[in-house]
Amino acid sequence: MRRLPILSAVGLAILFLAVDSPNTIPTPPSEMVYVPAGPFTMGSNFGDTDESPEHLATTKAYFIDKYEVSNADFKKFDPAFIYKDGNDNHACIVTWEQAATYAKSVGKRLPTEEEWEKAARGTDARLYPWGDSWDATFVAWDETIPRGGTIMNASSPYGCFDMAGGVREWTDSWYKPYAGNEVGCESYGEQFKVCRGGSHFCDPFSFRSSHRFYLPTNTTGNYYTGFRCVKDLE
Amino acid sequence: MKRMQSVFSVCFVVLVFSANAQKNNLFPKKDDPLHVRVEMFDQLMRDNHWNEGVFMQQVIFPPAGLEKPLVGSQEDVCGVTAEYLAGYSHMYHATKDPKAREYADKVFAGIEQLERVTGVPGVVARSFNKTDKPLWHEQVYFFSTEWHASKSMPGYRWQGDLSSDKFVDLCYGVSTYFDLCADDEHKARAAAFIDRFVGRCLDHNFKLVDYDGKMTLWGNFCPDLPHEPLNALEMLAGLRTAYHMTGKPRYLSSYQMLIERYHYDEQAMFAKVLFPKEWTVPWDDHLAAKSYWQLLRYETDPLLLNRYRTAMNRHWWDWKNSDFKRDIEIWYHMLYQVLTGEQVVGEKCLDAAKGMWGFDRVKGTFNVPQEDGTMKKIESELEENSTDMFVTYWFGRDLGFIDAEW
Repeated sequence: MRRLPILSAVGLAILFLAVDSPNTIPTPPSEMVYVPAGPFTMGSNFGDTDESPEHLATTKAYFIDKYEVSNADFKKFDPAFIYKDGNDNHACIVTWEQAATYAKSVGKRLPTEEEWEKAARGTDARLYPWGDSWDATFVAWDETIPRGGTIMNASSPYGCFDMAGGVREWTDSWYKPYAGNEVGCESYGEQFKVCRGGSHFCDPFSFRSSHRFYLPTNTTGNYYTGFRCVKDLE
Repeated sequence: MKRMQSVFSVCFVVLVFSANAQKNNLFPKKDDPLHVRVEMFDQLMRDNHWNEGVFMQQVIFPPAGLEKPLVGSQEDVCGVTAEYLAGYSHMYHATKDPKAREYADKVFAGIEQLERVTGVPGVVARSFNKTDKPLWHEQVYFFSTEWHASKSMPGYRWQGDLSSDKFVDLCYGVSTYFDLCADDEHKARAAAFIDRFVGRCLDHNFKLVDYDGKMTLWGNFCPDLPHEPLNALEMLAGLRTAYHMTGKPRYLSSYQMLIERYHYDEQAMFAKVLFPKEWTVPWDDHLAAKSYWQLLRYETDPLLLNRYRTAMNRHWWDWKNSDFKRDIEIWYHMLYQVLTGEQVVGEKCLDAAKGMWGFDRVKGTFNVPQEDGTMKKIESELEENSTDMFVTYWFGRDLGFIDAEW
């Protein structure tokens, strides 16, 4: 397995300065986890062309949902939302417009691509939220596996579950090339929003934390698509 | 707040009610001889499922959407078509009937059109339709965002995101055609098609890459990324086939590299998922079987043949207890006997072959999106396809398992 940690000495220094001491870590709201400010390795030189170049990105500190938004919570927001009785799982087949409206209604927002990827893979450039190994037992492989209920029950470095598999998760970012990427694509621009993390119906390739997928804002294209939210620190 | 179904609101449908739009309503009787049943189902497929050289995997007849019977789930059209190409090739090889070759040539031209419609050499569509605007089924079946207006063939729409399954189907169908049926001109065209198709995969580090430069949802054979053992088997078969058909050293050297540096031959031995049972899916068996058909005939190295045989033994552990509920399980037994020389095709298997049946036309209710974004339930008739029966029958006839008089 190949990966290229590109945290330079400068990057490491920034990271060191950005690390919170235990006394300063804010208490996350219920069912959310804290992600500190600082740089991380984003993208990949070994995935799709839109993932390259691997680069350093930086985020502010933020809170992010531990789990994907559930059926039950989404139904409280949209009574017309239909799901099978007793299926206490993630909300699925949700458009970007619906997800963004939901997030706003609960005082949160959708994560940017940077925020999503950092929450999923931490700062050590790992391939998946749990590390670099692949096995199907790490992911919610089908609808029978509830949120946070995979066999390995592995979380991301910051404590998020199901950031690989389950449902593809909406981000707030338009599908655009990273700086320095010169491979053209007619889909780039402010036409599509980026989804991350793969879903039930995916190859291991799509579960990698750097993988990007894109969809229009008003449809899921029948892909299993849901979301999780972030909240800014006050 | 919009309801979930509103995602289909971009689809505009004109319902055209026309009685008897299906061309052929002539089904065989259950007690007709096998060869009559096969011939009549073949005719039904050519009359009702034919779409400019490709076979629609499923047909929903009017009034559910269109004036012609070409609407339904289409994600496997490319696969069904490639299977039919193999079937017609065996038919020609067994009978030398020029009609069989003519059908095969037309089907191969359909496969070429699946590539031409995408406008990108080596990118093959799952399906296409001659239409300027989206059809309702695009929004309901599979992934609606994978349908595109063709730039190379204006007036057509095509479905992308080809999977590893279709990679296997195409290599299997086109190579069988190349080996058993095609004349010199068509052999050259078949080799050129495989060269573009498999070659593009090689050029992208063993990935199926769509028109937008991204790997397709299930197009991962890449040695630098986690992949399923079945995909290792499939890529070895694809490369060996491409070398067999084109003679280009790049395919053989890539094949050898995947074996020597990445141990794809060892990975391939685990292509069959046995445990846990819930993770076994029947179509994986079918993909593996087609891959064995190529690898075990084209490979000559005894060590590699031993590996592939070991891999197939793992499948056979499951196949040997088949109840032949699906026609294709008959094919697995015949295939195993042809490739290994073991006499495994018994009475039970042959009885099952004598009883093969294509499909029944059934009634279904379909949720058809309307212009205002609502859905309307429409009852209509539906036909699946008779691919498994057709391929199994003509393979069995060609290889001497099935008597022409049955």
